[in-house]
Amino acid sequence: MTVRPASRRHAWPVALAWGLGLLLALPVLALAGRAVLGGALASSVTSPAVLDALVLSLLTTACSLLLAAAIGLPLALVLARRRFRGAWLLETAVDLPIVLPPSVAGLALLLVLGRRGILGGPLEALGVEIPFSTAAVVIAQTFVAAPFLIRAARAGFVAVSRDLEDAARVDGARERDVLMAVTLPLAAPALAAGLVMAWARALGEFGATIMFAGSLAGRTRTLPLLVYGEFQAGDLDASIAAAAVLVLAAAGVLVAVRVLRWGRALEVGAT
Amino acid sequence: MTVAVAASLEHVDVGGFERIRPVDLAVASGSSAALRTQVEQGAAFSVFLSADLEQPRLLVEAGLGEPPVVPFAHNRLALVVPAHNPGRITGPADLGRAGVRIVAAAEGVPVTGYVRLLLSALSRLPGYPPGFETAYLENVVSREDSVAAVLAKVALGEADAGLVYATDARRSRNVAEIVIPADANPLTTMGAVVIAQAGDRSDARAFLAWLIGPGGRAELGRQGFLLP
Repeated sequence: MTVRPASRRHAWPVALAWGLGLLLALPVLALAGRAVLGGALASSVTSPAVLDALVLSLLTTACSLLLAAAIGLPLALVLARRRFRGAWLLETAVDLPIVLPPSVAGLALLLVLGRRGILGGPLEALGVEIPFSTAAVVIAQTFVAAPFLIRAARAGFVAVSRDLEDAARVDGARERDVLMAVTLPLAAPALAAGLVMAWARALGEFGATIMFAGSLAGRTRTLPLLVYGEFQAGDLDASIAAAAVLVLAAAGVLVAVRVLRWGRALEVGAT
Repeated sequence: MTVAVAASLEHVDVGGFERIRPVDLAVASGSSAALRTQVEQGAAFSVFLSADLEQPRLLVEAGLGEPPVVPFAHNRLALVVPAHNPGRITGPADLGRAGVRIVAAAEGVPVTGYVRLLLSALSRLPGYPPGFETAYLENVVSREDSVAAVLAKVALGEADAGLVYATDARRSRNVAEIVIPADANPLTTMGAVVIAQAGDRSDARAFLAWLIGPGGRAELGRQGFLLP
């Protein structure tokens, strides 16, 4: 097999790739264009409904991310470091929310934490009501977003050289110090990428939230719910404005992940 | 030919029209306001059956609906609670009691306008404290996108109560209906309109004629709708 020199390669495959890529991007470009040119973004982005939803989205996704990290990081560390019977089963269970349709996640959460759910019933007897609360939004987001963090973190932990950790132990470092000074810093780019992806997934969470948490301004109506709610109520401009905010956030996330990768590539290149 | 119908009309059988005219009918259902938005965005509907007169009127105003808007059925509101009635609701006055969890439809959904009429009529009746409407609004824990979603949340037992259309209440097995004073219960009017950009407008007009004729009235009556 021969490889043609770059100068003799055709230009048309690149043009084709651009064409196909733009075709895929067209709906989002149309949305962004309509939001900016149609004036929907300018007139609605400062409306109380959009601002309420934006603040709620930022607040709940921050909580979800903390919760996902608290649950996900220890889990990922064990999955990366220990081989044990049934590990594959645990991994599958952890990955499941990634492939589940969000509506299924919403229904499943209702069966557990709903008023008549396995845990929801006893909790309500104690005076704790989860459905229709902001806590329900956080739970729904954590449920669907944590697997992304766990996957990325597990891969990151696996990639950390055991030799480096062992070397630290030989030097007398305690397990906690090994974790803090060696494992976590070396896995940091993977953890950061995982956190960003998990945050993006939490921000976009819709199906499980609307089924399990409902939709109420300032309490459970996050940006994706606002997009749908305003559309259902016939206010297309408000819907488009909220959608445009989400597009900005999503694009920002992808750029952030790229920058993290570049940072990592630079570090690797320097050492 | 596609007919867009309000969620409350989802179970109306339009087969009778297909028997008198060789047309293949498809039915798209959803919140009336969302269907109106879809028509504005060029959805290929031929006829639009709304839960109110307002959505079709807006289409006619925008030149997207062919006048006139045809009233074809009426409905009433119904107060529904889960079959085991966890909020111990015995009458509409309980909707203002602190701690009752009400699921309602969002602003812009036709039923919300009718609910507002009901609340203001109720609040003038004896036995309803001042501030009843505000108390009701404070008890709303979720604003759903359609009446169908309100009914689902009540049927699931997640909400203590919800206001839906009488025809919806009749259809659901997991809810119980609580009586609303008849003189406070607003009569809703459902309007239909032929979509101006429809390619098969003579079929669409024939469908409207069927809907308000004996065939359509018989089917609507069977589903519990009141007839003009």
